[in-house]
Amino acid sequence: MDIFSNLSLGFTVALSMQNLMLCFIGCLVGTLIGVLPGVGPIATIAMLLPLTFKVDPTGALIMLAGIYYGAQYGGSTTAILINIPGEATSVVTALDGHAMAKKGRAGVALGIAAIGSFIAGTIATLAIALLGKPLTGLALLFGPAEYFALMILGLALAVALARGPALKAIIMIVLGVLLSTVGTDLDTGEERLTLGLVGLSDGIDFATIAMGIFGLAEILKNIEAPEARDVVKGSIGRLLPSWLDFRRALKPVLRGTLLGSGLGILPGNGAVIAPFASYTLEKKLSKNPSEFGNGAIEGVAGPESANNAAAQTAFIPLLTLGIPPNAVMALMIGAMTIHGIIPGPLVMTKSPDLFWGMIASMWIGNLMLVVINLPLIGIWVRLLKVPYRLMYPAILLFCAIGIYSINNNPGDVYVTAFFGLLGYLFYKLGFEPAPMLLGFVLGKLLEQKLRQALTLADGDMLAVIGRPTAAVFLVAALIVIAVSLSPTITRKRDEVLAE
Amino acid sequence: MRTNMGTETPSAVRSPSDLAGSLFLFFVAGIALWQADGLTFGTLEAVGPGFMPISLAVLLAGLAALLFVSSLRRNGEALAAWSLRPLVFVLGAFIVFGLALRPLGLSVAGPLAVILAGFASNETRFFETAAFGIAMTAACIGLFKYALNLPIPLAPWLLGY
Repeated sequence: MDIFSNLSLGFTVALSMQNLMLCFIGCLVGTLIGVLPGVGPIATIAMLLPLTFKVDPTGALIMLAGIYYGAQYGGSTTAILINIPGEATSVVTALDGHAMAKKGRAGVALGIAAIGSFIAGTIATLAIALLGKPLTGLALLFGPAEYFALMILGLALAVALARGPALKAIIMIVLGVLLSTVGTDLDTGEERLTLGLVGLSDGIDFATIAMGIFGLAEILKNIEAPEARDVVKGSIGRLLPSWLDFRRALKPVLRGTLLGSGLGILPGNGAVIAPFASYTLEKKLSKNPSEFGNGAIEGVAGPESANNAAAQTAFIPLLTLGIPPNAVMALMIGAMTIHGIIPGPLVMTKSPDLFWGMIASMWIGNLMLVVINLPLIGIWVRLLKVPYRLMYPAILLFCAIGIYSINNNPGDVYVTAFFGLLGYLFYKLGFEPAPMLLGFVLGKLLEQKLRQALTLADGDMLAVIGRPTAAVFLVAALIVIAVSLSPTITRKRDEVLAE
Repeated sequence: MRTNMGTETPSAVRSPSDLAGSLFLFFVAGIALWQADGLTFGTLEAVGPGFMPISLAVLLAGLAALLFVSSLRRNGEALAAWSLRPLVFVLGAFIVFGLALRPLGLSVAGPLAVILAGFASNETRFFETAAFGIAMTAACIGLFKYALNLPIPLAPWLLGY
């Protein structure tokens, strides 16, 4: 079978000594930074990008994927041990995970999170291997008009999935796309919206936005309103779940995996909703829903698996279509372009070793997380006892060195500070920043494809949006927007997100 | 801000936070339009560099207007207070780091940024933070400069690099 030969090629690449080492270091450092409260995967990856500069492209991506999974797992660890979710996707884990920790079952919660994630990762890796090829084929059939329409659909989905009023989410997306036009126009070489600043003529580096909004603004929020850190006292208990725990968790893990894998593929950050959806589903299916919130193992196992499966299948739109479905994948694009790889359907045919090597290393990375993190939990607990007054200056220093090192440019440090301020302003005004990031991420590609499509159609807008596939995407986008603007749906979604 | 008491002179603004948000967005759209002034808009056959920025700025202004209207009609949040101290010292520390790195090197910029950032919180103890800053900088020099070989200036005034 094709898939097996491809996967075996992947494992040959991923199992080389060097790549195993890189995967290991990535997982370890990713977890180390991801464990810090208030530092989610996005800030972690932006901070650690420079670590990968000296490695070959395949190794760099393998290491980044390791950092990503490590950061995710670190976030779950923080959520379970001190009840501070590092990012939106581990909010759910904190509910029952921390309740379990309070009952002296922190070890089991962390263990089932790791094991569930591993099972989810295994299945999702297979899904990528299976779907990669056909989707790449599909991607080659897409013209600029279809790409444009698909991205519009992705942005519409981002509106539907964002928290808060839909109008504000739409505003943030438009703002993000507007920010993406800053810099030199690719067709004419004219400078746009640079305010006359030389530093902006190359455009805004995505890492500066990500770091400003998810690194600096987060520090500002935490100093202002310190979150009560409820460090688990006493023992963590056993790490390996008992057979009974495992049997209770198995079905939630599988359902979460299925749900997460499906949602993760959606362009428009479907991954963010996966753990919420899984939690709601498990609560509905449970015989004793009252256990949820009081330490139900299903409430940790399901969402964690959904989260990890979605994190993994989110690579599908990136690797096959070249469209990043969320901010993390946008950072991956940044890393790929630094190494001269243009993400998209050609990666698979042009550099199969990179494509399959990375997919295989995803699986290895998941396995490594189980193996390295369970023994290291004691260290994470001690790290979490460091007071925030020391932690935040350290985070700030890492951010500053990281952002400088990406382009060796002090200008990027100032731009990041500006986005820190902007992030704080949005927080105060009640705007959710995630849709802006997605708008920014897709903005350049959106403009490029629209311009290409219009040129191909001799300026006939109707011909562009009238192509059958494009029309389907656009109509779907319209429906999604209309639905998310309707008040009843908004209320229902907020209920799901609030649970 | 006066609250709506249900009398004949109700406050016109129901959501001061959204009102402020819409004003900020008008400001952003204004800057974008001003900056895009010299750019060619082009036609649909030949889209110019100004096409996206101008369309998006106009769209943004339109959405801001919707938010403005909704802030007058729907009850929402009051303006949230800003804490200036963290803002000044955290962002200040970051900018000072950027300014100091090239001329003074990481050996100075690192502890400087950590100490300055420390002033953002009233829980900070000065000497503890200073010692911590020096230790963290040493660790970062070991990691980024020696282990990863990244071209970060260390102490140009002393070592020449």
